[in-house]
Amino acid sequence: MKSLYRVMALVGKEIVEVLRRPGAVISLVLGPFLILAIFGFGYHGYRRDLQTIVVLPVGANLATDPQEYDSLDATGIRVISVTADRTAAEAQLQSEAVDLVVVIPANAVQALEQGQQADLTIEMNQVDPVQANYATFMAQTLMADVNREIYRRGAEAGQAYAVQIGGQAAKIPADVIASPTVAKVVNFAPISPAIVAFFGVAALALVLQHMAVTLLALSIVRERTSGAMDLFRIAPIRATELVIGKVIAFGLLGGAIAAISVALLVGLLGVPMLGPPILIAVTIALLLGASLGLGLVISIISDSERQAVQLSLLTLLASMFFSGFVLRIDEFEAPVQAAAYLLPVTHGIRLLQDLFLRGSIEHPWQLGALTIIAAVLLAASWILLRREMRPA
Amino acid sequence: MVASAANARSAQPVVRTSDLTRSFNGFTAVSGIDLEVAPGTILGVVGPSGSGKTTTIRMLTGSLAPTRGEISVLGESPRSFSGRTRAQIGYMPQQFILYPDLTARENVDFVATLYGLLLFKRRRRSRQVLELLGLWPVANRQAGKLSGGERRRLELACALVHEPRLLILDEPTAGVDPMLRRTIWDEIHRLRDTGVTAIITTQYVTEAEEVDQVAVIAGGRVIAHDSPAGLRRSAMGGEIVEVETTGTFDASALADVPGFRNVRQTGLRTFEVLVDDAGEASAAMAESVLRAGGEIASVRELQPTFEEIFAAIVEQGGAGVPEDLSATAPAARSQEAGTR
Repeated sequence: MKSLYRVMALVGKEIVEVLRRPGAVISLVLGPFLILAIFGFGYHGYRRDLQTIVVLPVGANLATDPQEYDSLDATGIRVISVTADRTAAEAQLQSEAVDLVVVIPANAVQALEQGQQADLTIEMNQVDPVQANYATFMAQTLMADVNREIYRRGAEAGQAYAVQIGGQAAKIPADVIASPTVAKVVNFAPISPAIVAFFGVAALALVLQHMAVTLLALSIVRERTSGAMDLFRIAPIRATELVIGKVIAFGLLGGAIAAISVALLVGLLGVPMLGPPILIAVTIALLLGASLGLGLVISIISDSERQAVQLSLLTLLASMFFSGFVLRIDEFEAPVQAAAYLLPVTHGIRLLQDLFLRGSIEHPWQLGALTIIAAVLLAASWILLRREMRPA
Repeated sequence: MVASAANARSAQPVVRTSDLTRSFNGFTAVSGIDLEVAPGTILGVVGPSGSGKTTTIRMLTGSLAPTRGEISVLGESPRSFSGRTRAQIGYMPQQFILYPDLTARENVDFVATLYGLLLFKRRRRSRQVLELLGLWPVANRQAGKLSGGERRRLELACALVHEPRLLILDEPTAGVDPMLRRTIWDEIHRLRDTGVTAIITTQYVTEAEEVDQVAVIAGGRVIAHDSPAGLRRSAMGGEIVEVETTGTFDASALADVPGFRNVRQTGLRTFEVLVDDAGEASAAMAESVLRAGGEIASVRELQPTFEEIFAAIVEQGGAGVPEDLSATAPAARSQEAGTR
């Protein structure tokens, strides 16, 4: 009975302390939503077209008017000029005035007619690996379109060439010869969510983890530096009661903030919520539990508020990189993937995205993983706290 | 008061330390402290800052483990205090450790709950201690907005709220005004009279008058441990009597009188004598002065200030008098007894 009272006293104390700081409350409740709102309204989800110069040698049998390239299917690339001056084009690339320079060989059509391949060079000036990959992908798309155009023009130019391709080829339109297959994209996902929906849910998981880690870590470090930990050492309170009280208090606060954020996400930003609310609540509870465990461990190993803040920010940075929030986890090497799965938010993002946008959990093991992470971190923090509460 | 303390002393000590030593990275903060505190007594631990008072206190509360030596508090080692024993200890640390965002009452309630006080008793006791320490009018004010004195009282309220058997107060009167200082000591005396044992550290040497036993600590060692009167005697080698005669008198005539030591002329009609017992010496003094041709106008015992006493003790202990050991409580300067 007394134990329960002690836990409830801790819960009440923590909640009152947080609520007594209006600035903290505002940033806690409105902060995550504002971030999501800015993200939702500010991010259109489409990359700027890559500004491209096509270097076309004199005499090449291809269009010299940039507008003619707009008719190609190469989305994401905008040909702003066609020139024969490769040096001038490369100078613009060096000065980052353009993103890509595509150098088309002089003899492309003739080479095709002779059954040979010609080199088509794509030049970029990019240090951002993500952007470089994207530009390469886009350039390859353009290259495929240029190839097809060369092919089409070749087919138009010589019926005899078409006859060589097949007996009935003369009756086949040049477009079909140039592009015998047409890609049709089929997506098995129940909906095609807007960018804000996809990243909004992920941002919710990230914000909840960061909030839980930071609040709890600072709470205990502050008590240690103020001397309040001495009060706990001397009073008849056990480490178990302390851990339970802290986790319940910040779990309730986190839960309230999560509920408000989800309501705003669904109500104002129009994020679909296809999954059962109870399963979403369970996932959020597990995410908060694991994050609070992480916060407790950080608080115990930190010897100052500054270190706790630094470790919380490092956790946030690691979460941004490795959780699948920005980059896909399967793009990392196996050891890094394993480390990524140790972060609560890695599972939180995937589970919440599945629940909100697919209506079900694709990988139920992630719920178990989140539970295990929460249990291990809370047990570890309990052991560390017990040790800290012993005489120094 | 003295009788009850004497009776209490016959019982098992509430606190006992033996060869208590604590080192930090090769620096010995506390060395070989032996103490016994009887139930229902107040032990004052007096010493300058950095002398080892707080380290000693923290070892008694179980916050700090000794490097060497034994401690028994309420019959248990602080390393392994049971919840029941913890609930019998009230601790007031030197610095403010409560929660500035909680109100005074919420802080007291919180601490009361930590100590296992349930709803109704908690409410009653919280109100009692807040009223007792004059904090009831500011009970709903956030602790961070209280004055320094109010914060000290609030910490004391938290130490008292669960009615502990043993109070451990680390400089409870530091930075507190004289009126409040008096209130705090009155409350500590009242608690002592109900059987509560208290260990109190202070830098104010004059506060040694307020306690039953004084342990003077300097350089991490206890250099004297006695009652205030006992300390006075041992520091000065006896009691000092100031004599005034009706006419001019040469005090050197008394130099050979048995029991009179350190006869010192202080004026044409005044002199001081060191005796074992001022009360018993009065008659002999009158007779001796008369025999030497003088006549006594008045005799009174001179009580040296505790500043002087502690200076003497520290010097006897082989250390210089640290600057802050001579600090005195503003309201308690004069320790002279009245004319007898």
